[in-house]
Amino acid sequence: MEEVVKAGGLVKEFNGFRAVDGVSFSIRRGELFSLLGPNGAGKTTTIKMLSTLLTPTSGDAYVEGYSVTREPGKVRRVIGLVPQDLTADDEMTGWDNVYIQARLYGLSRGEAQARAREVLELMGLWDAARRRVGTYSGGMRRRLEIAMSLVHEPSVLFLDEPTLGLDVQSRRGLWRVVEELKRRGVTILLTTHYMEEAEALSDRVAIMHRGRIVEVGSPEELKARVRGETIYVEPLDPGELERVKNILEENGLEAHVIEGRVALRVERADTVLPQVASALQGVRVKSMSIAKPSLEEVFIQLTGETLSGEEHVDPFSFRRMIRSVRR
Amino acid sequence: MLSATLVLTWREVVKWVRRRPVLVMSLVTPIFWIALFGKSYNLLNLVQLQVQGVPQVVLEQVRSLLSQAVEKIFGTTDYFTYVATGMLAVFALFQSMFGAVGVVFERRIGYLTRLLVAPIPRSSIFFSKVLGSMFRISVLSLVLFTIGLLMGMQLKPSIGPADLLGTWGAIMLLSLGLSSLFTGMAFNITNQEVLFAIANLVNLPLMFSSSALFPLDQMPSWLQTVARVNPISHTADLVRYLLIGKPLPEPLASVAYLMALSLVLLGIGYLAAQRGMREA
Ligand SMILES: Nc1ncnc2c1ncn2[C@@H]1O[C@H](COP(=O)(O)OP(=O)(O)OP(=O)(O)O)[C@@H](O)[C@H]1O
Ligand SMILES: [Mg+2]
Repeated sequence: MEEVVKAGGLVKEFNGFRAVDGVSFSIRRGELFSLLGPNGAGKTTTIKMLSTLLTPTSGDAYVEGYSVTREPGKVRRVIGLVPQDLTADDEMTGWDNVYIQARLYGLSRGEAQARAREVLELMGLWDAARRRVGTYSGGMRRRLEIAMSLVHEPSVLFLDEPTLGLDVQSRRGLWRVVEELKRRGVTILLTTHYMEEAEALSDRVAIMHRGRIVEVGSPEELKARVRGETIYVEPLDPGELERVKNILEENGLEAHVIEGRVALRVERADTVLPQVASALQGVRVKSMSIAKPSLEEVFIQLTGETLSGEEHVDPFSFRRMIRSVRR
Repeated sequence: MLSATLVLTWREVVKWVRRRPVLVMSLVTPIFWIALFGKSYNLLNLVQLQVQGVPQVVLEQVRSLLSQAVEKIFGTTDYFTYVATGMLAVFALFQSMFGAVGVVFERRIGYLTRLLVAPIPRSSIFFSKVLGSMFRISVLSLVLFTIGLLMGMQLKPSIGPADLLGTWGAIMLLSLGLSSLFTGMAFNITNQEVLFAIANLVNLPLMFSSSALFPLDQMPSWLQTVARVNPISHTADLVRYLLIGKPLPEPLASVAYLMALSLVLLGIGYLAAQRGMREA
């Protein structure tokens, strides 16, 4: 299969600190490839190098066959970037932002108008197009960023933490947008530190940690590398949690109480389940469920750290601050 | 490159026209200055003073002598006219500096990233800023000139379209140089406070060390030396020469000087901007 993005040994140093430390991967046409990693893993720095905003300290990357170090102009023509930090001019309307963007990519006045309308409609922003961007909600602003990145029909789209700071509903909405773009054949590189996001959207995930890629594969492949599954048992009476735990331990199983449920780490849940059921005959059980390994567990096993780390600063509150200063 | 420059310049213009409070504020300052300096320091008022015990005839003679002296020094008996014309040059200086603030702001709000990742020459980003400033200065100068006239600025009797055009040209040369320099500088600054500090450091000294507010021959000799290389002086002198007919021994020398300096500043600003846009 054709490789649209190919990074080879990318390194970026900031005053001697290696933010990205030899990253190599390739993305096939039409694929959605995720960089999953905690804060400071080097995701944004990687994307900036791929989108020609930063020059690699060493290594090179190719987008549609063009070198990001030697042919940045050609790379810029074929990529769309939705940076982690917002970029739209909030003093202008959504329409202005998209229209100007289209004109910058060489579209004529008529083409630019048609295209602006098309992408604004695609992003569900047509009704708000004539409003100042400053009045948009966080989810709308993210969608506007995507609209601005789509005016020239890029074949590769870089989405740097597109759902950062959004509530669950807007996040789901954005996922649908991303899925729609993928359906249209756009090759997408997405970064995120939400493992559900990587899991829900990606064909393949690269797990990034401290400037390096520690593992690559489809979400299923990655999870298959974590041995075992988890069985959750929830007694009807929460007071019986300890009793359930004890019974199961007497049966030689490894049990923990986690948030009102008893969790059992087992090799294969399907063969253990009958044993659990018969052991718990005398207990009134509300539910029993099997959890397949998640990317979070993969990450923990690979790095010994959790994905979430410290919480993110909401980028929108920062923007709001700037806006209020400006007034 | 041309089309990207035009699109971005158009954006500058649209933004400016829509932001009326800023527009008003940028006019208030120079008008305030003209009124403050020009009207309250009106030199002839000094001459109108009644001095007790001096015969009227003597006063008349002193008055006319002083008027002649004032006319000789300022090129007009009206200090207001002197300041109003000089203010056109100072105004170009202030506006060039204001224009540069936009660069720092666009980096801050992230819009610059958007431009840097677009397939446009980086020089078009620089040129659009400079052209935007020059456009703003053109319009505002015209407004300022009109207001000056309404407030009693006296033009030379023989004024013609060529004089007005020449005035505009002189102001544009100054704006090109200063805007280029400040814009280029702004591309290397990430913090607007730094830019405001530089503006404060540069604006007032440049204004006072020029012939914009006071004639050169009234200055101590060291300040005269500074004022002679100050482009504000050359612009103010040219504007006065063209609008109110204040004699200028070598107007073409001033034009040549402004052209040369603007080209040099354009070069410096361009290189500085390229440097500031290397990485985002
Ligand atoms: N311009 C810079 N100068 C110095 N250090 C930098 C610069 N940009 C990034 N870094 C550092 O490089 C490391 C990687 O940063 P990067 O922004 O790529 O991480 P990230 O994976 O995108 O994190 P996040 O999830 O918080 O966005 C961080 O430690 C960061 O502090
Ligand atoms: Mg990041």
